[in-house]
Amino acid sequence: MGLFDKLAGWLGLKKKEVHVLCLGLDNSGKTTIINKLKPSNAQAQDIVPTIGFSIEKFKTSSLSFTVFDMSGQGRYRNLWEHYYKDCQAIIFVIDSSDKLRMVVAKEELDTLMNHPDLKHRRIPILFFANKMDLRDAVSSVKVSHLLSLEDIKDKPWHICASDAIKGEGLQEGVDWLQDQITQSNSINEDMKNQ
Amino acid sequence: MPTTTPWPTCTRFPLVSPWPTSTATETVSWWWVTWVRRGHEMKLKVYQGTGLLSENALPDLPVSVTTFLMEQHEPRMPAVAVASGPFVYVYKNLRPYFKFTLPPLELNPMEKSVWDQAKEDKVDLMSMKEMLEQIRENAEMPLSVQSLRFLSLDLPEMESFVNQYKMQPIKRQTVITCMATLKKNMVDEDAVSCLVIGTENNEILILDPEAFTILAKMMVPSVPAFLDVTGQFDVEYRLTVACRSGCVYILRRDSKRPKYCIELSAQALGLVRVQKNIVAACSDEMLQSYTQKGKKLWVISLPATPVTMSLLDEKFQSFQAVLVALANMEVHMYRDKNLVNVIQTQDIVTSICFGRYGREDNTLVMTTKGGGLIIKILKRTATFHKGDTAVGAPVAQSIKLNVPKKTKLYVDQTLRERESGVAMHRVFQTDLSRIRLVAARAYVRALECSMAPVSESLQEPLKMNAVVQGMGPTFKLSLNLQNMSETRAVANLLVSFLYDEKLYSVAQPFFKAPMLVPGLNYPLVTFVQCLSTQGISDIIKVFVLREGASEPLLTAHINMPVSEGLAAV
Repeated sequence: MGLFDKLAGWLGLKKKEVHVLCLGLDNSGKTTIINKLKPSNAQAQDIVPTIGFSIEKFKTSSLSFTVFDMSGQGRYRNLWEHYYKDCQAIIFVIDSSDKLRMVVAKEELDTLMNHPDLKHRRIPILFFANKMDLRDAVSSVKVSHLLSLEDIKDKPWHICASDAIKGEGLQEGVDWLQDQITQSNSINEDMKNQ
Repeated sequence: MPTTTPWPTCTRFPLVSPWPTSTATETVSWWWVTWVRRGHEMKLKVYQGTGLLSENALPDLPVSVTTFLMEQHEPRMPAVAVASGPFVYVYKNLRPYFKFTLPPLELNPMEKSVWDQAKEDKVDLMSMKEMLEQIRENAEMPLSVQSLRFLSLDLPEMESFVNQYKMQPIKRQTVITCMATLKKNMVDEDAVSCLVIGTENNEILILDPEAFTILAKMMVPSVPAFLDVTGQFDVEYRLTVACRSGCVYILRRDSKRPKYCIELSAQALGLVRVQKNIVAACSDEMLQSYTQKGKKLWVISLPATPVTMSLLDEKFQSFQAVLVALANMEVHMYRDKNLVNVIQTQDIVTSICFGRYGREDNTLVMTTKGGGLIIKILKRTATFHKGDTAVGAPVAQSIKLNVPKKTKLYVDQTLRERESGVAMHRVFQTDLSRIRLVAARAYVRALECSMAPVSESLQEPLKMNAVVQGMGPTFKLSLNLQNMSETRAVANLLVSFLYDEKLYSVAQPFFKAPMLVPGLNYPLVTFVQCLSTQGISDIIKVFVLREGASEPLLTAHINMPVSEGLAAV
């Protein structure tokens, strides 16, 4: 790192970049959430099903996020695991109104948790219990129960109820993620300095 | 077999209690359709996700439910067809849309004239009954329901029945037994389809999807029970029909009669086509597979009676298997003849449907006898072991057995057998006859001397068996004496023992038997003391004698065991 970069970093001009994976079943609202987090002038109007994946960028107060918005369709889900290695955080989106496929979401989450690239890493996972605006949506507590999130012991996780169309609940989640990443970064730096 | 189940998802909820039965289900991309019966109230229910989307009352018991696309217009909403009695009810946009009625059958002209006469009151009830009965017995064409009903009535009810119905024209109607769909002219998933229906009248009809006119009519030799259709109506198609006679007929476009016939070992309880092969589950607990031309491929036995079956077509991995629901509350999954998975259920599954449901491609929907609904979603990463899919001889056949080398003796023997086979056979036959003769002679002698434990004499048909109990030196000797005659009792019998007095002493060597009542078993017990200390044993003979006669009626030889109690003495 050059002297100028360091200086910019201290002054808060240059933000630290983090890679985040956005996962979840098809039609859960991943692209809509990412779209809502982008600056309003860069937001797309129509959201279509993602094919393969797309890369999106947005900034928060202290971090610059690069999000890999993965397609959730069954035939593309085997792509997910190729990106586990390089990511520093995971956003997992759940359609709270789709009770039938909650088990499928749990199945995918379990596969993700047991993947060798992630199993022993302490990376933060943010869950969005999305589509809270729908009449038959279940609460975020119920979602975390259905996915047995309480069994995740070795990774920091957080679930927040969200409505991606209106943008409700998204900021809360991203703030938590930012805190987690900066925390783990400072710990890492400390360890390096020692 | 994978250790973890490949069916992770299981949503169960009761359809409607208390007594629903459902036999037909169908998944469309968005909904899942079933019909439910509660008491006499029958309903067509459409589900979306886990929630009920719509409900329509049905007028009669349906035999089949299917979905099909009626027209090209966007949005492409499939219609639901429910076959029931002689009607097909078509629902579009979840609302009743059209009712198709099977064309009435030709009437017997004689039967018609009888009813015409009744209309003009020219015939009395008795002669009417007589004439109809005659027609029923002699004519080839069966009677109409109205006439059959009339014949089943008692005399007092007949008059009011005739008065009530004589003004109405008589009709002969058949009913639908099965229904399927056939793509009209395109192979696409969302192409327009024709309805194919089988009737009780041995007919197969193909209906136009828009006008509901009969496009084609075919006859099969028996009543169709299951239908499988492949191809397109305008191009080339193939109908596979399992009939109640236990035969499967294969028909093609432009053939008015079946092209191939497969005779199953028993009646079919389900029919599925896997690519180009036919798989049928039969009532004799067999799963059989045939080619399209009727060549038998394999037969496997099922652990219980099959109830229903369905095809599992997994498109992503292009995996095809047959699901068979059994009466022992299991659903077995066969890939060719290999069992790849077993699903345990809490109730007997009465209908199975596999396909796209909502956003999930590989969903398995099952209804149970008690009215439950089970939805299972196939795991994305599920793999089923392929089994030995290789064609030809099974693996076991190619394993080399450790057969020892031929010895010289063996070679000599085979040589001898080859050279003088006839002579050897003759010698064997002579010896065999001789041994039979010896045996017969010995038997006759035994009977003559009453040496056998069964008396052949007509006067005293007796049976005896003797049991020795104990370790020695004292044995308990129990004789069971039975009179085999039907009616006559036998009295004045004596029992005597003959034995070596140096070896044994019998407590009662001679005693009188009680009167023997027919059929009863008389246990007679005496004690025998072994006197020898040498560890030898001998035979004790028991005679049953008639008083005054010198020849015994029965003889039994008892092989005494060696006295084990010697050491103690």
